[in-house]
Amino acid sequence: MAEPALAAATGLRAGVTHGRVWALGAVLAVLWVCMPALASRSIVDMLVFTALYTIAGLGVSFLLGQCGIVSLAQSVFYGIGAYSSAYCATHFGWPMPAGLLIGIGLSATIAAVVGWPVLRLSGYFLALATLALAIIAHVLFTEWDGITGGTLGVGGIPPISLFGFALNSPARFYFLVWPIAILLLWLHYNLLHSRTGFAVRAMRDAPAAARVLGVDIHALKVKVFVLSAVLGALAGSLFAHYVSFVSVDSFGVDRAINFLLLAVLGGSRTLAGPILGALFITMTPHLLGRFGDIHALLFAVLLIVSVIFLPQGFGGVAAQLWQRASGRKLEPKP
Amino acid sequence: MNSTLLLQSALAGITNGFVYALIAIGIAVIFRGTRIINAMQGEFSLIGGMVAYLVLERLGLALPLAAVGGVFAGGILGFVIELTLVRPTRKRGGGEESYLLLTLGVAFGISAAVLFIFGRDARLLAGIGGEASALFFDAAIRIHALWLMAISSLVLLLLWLFYKRTRIGQSMLAASIQEEGALTIGINVPLMRTLTFLLGGLVGGLAGVLVSPMITIHYEMGLLLTLKGFAAAILGGLTSPFGAVVGGLTLGLVESLAVLSFASGYKDVVAMTLLIVIMILMPNGMLGRRMRKGG
Amino acid sequence: MSALLELRGISHSFRGLQVLRNVNLRVEQGAICGLIGPNGAGKSTLFNIASGFLPADAGQVVYAGVEVTRHSVERRSYAGLVRTFQTPQVFAHLTVWENLMAGCYKLTSSGLLGNLVGTPGSRRELAAMRATAERVCREFKLDAVRDVLAGKLPGGMQRLLELARACVAAPRLLCLDEPSAGLNSEEVAQLMQALQRLQQSGMTILLVSHDMDLVAVASVIHVLCFGEIIAAGSFAEVRADARVREAYLGV
Repeated sequence: MAEPALAAATGLRAGVTHGRVWALGAVLAVLWVCMPALASRSIVDMLVFTALYTIAGLGVSFLLGQCGIVSLAQSVFYGIGAYSSAYCATHFGWPMPAGLLIGIGLSATIAAVVGWPVLRLSGYFLALATLALAIIAHVLFTEWDGITGGTLGVGGIPPISLFGFALNSPARFYFLVWPIAILLLWLHYNLLHSRTGFAVRAMRDAPAAARVLGVDIHALKVKVFVLSAVLGALAGSLFAHYVSFVSVDSFGVDRAINFLLLAVLGGSRTLAGPILGALFITMTPHLLGRFGDIHALLFAVLLIVSVIFLPQGFGGVAAQLWQRASGRKLEPKP
Repeated sequence: MNSTLLLQSALAGITNGFVYALIAIGIAVIFRGTRIINAMQGEFSLIGGMVAYLVLERLGLALPLAAVGGVFAGGILGFVIELTLVRPTRKRGGGEESYLLLTLGVAFGISAAVLFIFGRDARLLAGIGGEASALFFDAAIRIHALWLMAISSLVLLLLWLFYKRTRIGQSMLAASIQEEGALTIGINVPLMRTLTFLLGGLVGGLAGVLVSPMITIHYEMGLLLTLKGFAAAILGGLTSPFGAVVGGLTLGLVESLAVLSFASGYKDVVAMTLLIVIMILMPNGMLGRRMRKGG
Repeated sequence: MSALLELRGISHSFRGLQVLRNVNLRVEQGAICGLIGPNGAGKSTLFNIASGFLPADAGQVVYAGVEVTRHSVERRSYAGLVRTFQTPQVFAHLTVWENLMAGCYKLTSSGLLGNLVGTPGSRRELAAMRATAERVCREFKLDAVRDVLAGKLPGGMQRLLELARACVAAPRLLCLDEPSAGLNSEEVAQLMQALQRLQQSGMTILLVSHDMDLVAVASVIHVLCFGEIIAAGSFAEVRADARVREAYLGV
């Protein structure tokens, strides 16, 4: 069962080039475990953000690649998750799971309530509606400073404690957040290879035909939107407990654009796509930091280039290179 | 409620309404000419305002020249974008999603470029008649605002005439409605599409030049303008300049009057909520014209 | 014999144009019923109304004795009323095999959460879906192209796939919209054989077609012209009908 998942991550069909897939997997696993010991603190910090963005980005990627929905609303749920955790921890002193569950619950509810009418729109209208939602959320986060602290933010969010062990350093948090991200990618794989997964992909390719097969398209869209929102809230909650201080700057339109960008650049049709996209989004400002605010421009240029030339994103390109290297012509994972 | 305050808000709303109408007509021009919904229309305004500012402040030329410079900058930008980005996307068989991501990408890119080159500071462009205002029943309205309304109305009228009466205007419409038919009667369809973007850019640039003295020029202004213009366009329907004015004024008034009841920070929330509501309830606009299938 | 599908008094106008005028049509259980007519006669509209994609201005759609006029497409599908489309609507980014698995949707019932986690029920369903897809693949001789992306198939095979997919969930009434458009004569012959096989296994078929050769498999043929049924009967009867000839030749 792990083998098909690994194969899917690299875009191959299960059972092919056994040895290579396992070898690559083993190397990556070892590298992953040793990373906090080998790399500097700032690199590990970057990798933690990569995992956080992978989780949030998976939500957007799934909507885009499998459902054909362009969503710029992920920053809304990221923010709700973060502020819920922040508020519950600092104002009520509740333990971490409380804030997390409330954040997820709120996000799911809002996604369902707002999504029900909005997801009747299609294409452009839907995308612009999600953008409008991101703007509304940003303004509300700023104005409702009783809960969110507005531009001053909320500080003093306690780190997560596992078995009395406080996760207050990048290295410690790294070992929490990555297993969560990998787990979610595995769940995503399960979903794609199930009745729901087929319905979702069918819905994207030929909605009328999907209806004829009994799929209630609208209800399904709302469900996946809620799922995507839950991922965003989870990522936001973890984020709050990691950085211990959140402010409204993290939850604006540029965050929403980052999430969409990582889905487009990483490729929304391969399993490794969100990871690659997240890696890119976190690495680039790191590397280009000394040039000022240039990374936003670079991201936009890459988005444009990839729309025109690289519709499958890095993940798709990686999958194709891998196929060529193993010398077999296979179709990419749909 | 203080009637002067009410009137003041209404005047502000009407002024904004004309700006939204200009953005809406820019979106409409591009949509009617290429069937693409232009998510970067507001960026034409950003560039228009920015260039006008630079011409005024850095080159020291007079305001009218700066204004013309801004308008042309918008047009050139539109022209270049169609040629270098939209055409290749078309050639590769871009679906609706591709154009959406493309125009969004360009919108973010321009915003990011302005951020990178000019930083986060807001700049102020001088308006027509400077800071002078006139009184209208005790409510103050800037001279510039009056000029804004006059110029916008004129431009809207000219555009209507352009599409109705001139051969080029009709060719542009024909090229989008029936591409093969247009080709057979000798219309250069690719050129028409480029001209459409040029025209849309000019109108956007003009909107930017007109609105910049009233709100400041900063790197984030494009997106909000685009969305509000879009709301105006849907409200009024994309088929006539008249619709754009109706839509723009409605949005502007609702926005300004709503802010009397809520705090001013919620202004954008009002506009954005209205946008979502209109898209869901009235995809064909108040005037009931068919804008797009399956909206 | 009872009628599986009955269209009673269906009228519909579109943008001021009367497209269908008091159409009555019965499809008997276990029969192959053909619907023909010149272009613009309203066949597609009637089809869309029968399958639930369009609400009729007036009239009723009765399926298996139940009035389904207000029922959604999905609901009719669960009741066994399935249709195909004029341009084959295959799931282009899925392989042939996956298309068939998608067709199993109605036969399964696990929910989103179960699918996410991979519960035993979910896994069993997946295995059942695979078995069904295998069986249908063999039946319709699609084994050779199992792993090809549906979007890359030639037109004739796409039609076959669409038909196979529609049959996966054993529908009671199969409505085919121009199933032979774009097929060469060999493929049409294969299609006719497939339809006869399906009928023999108990399926009822409603067929819209321009192709006179294909329509010959039908036991009853209705002729629609300018929104009205002008003739109904066997192939020979309809061919001999004066009004039908006028409609097709004398327009």
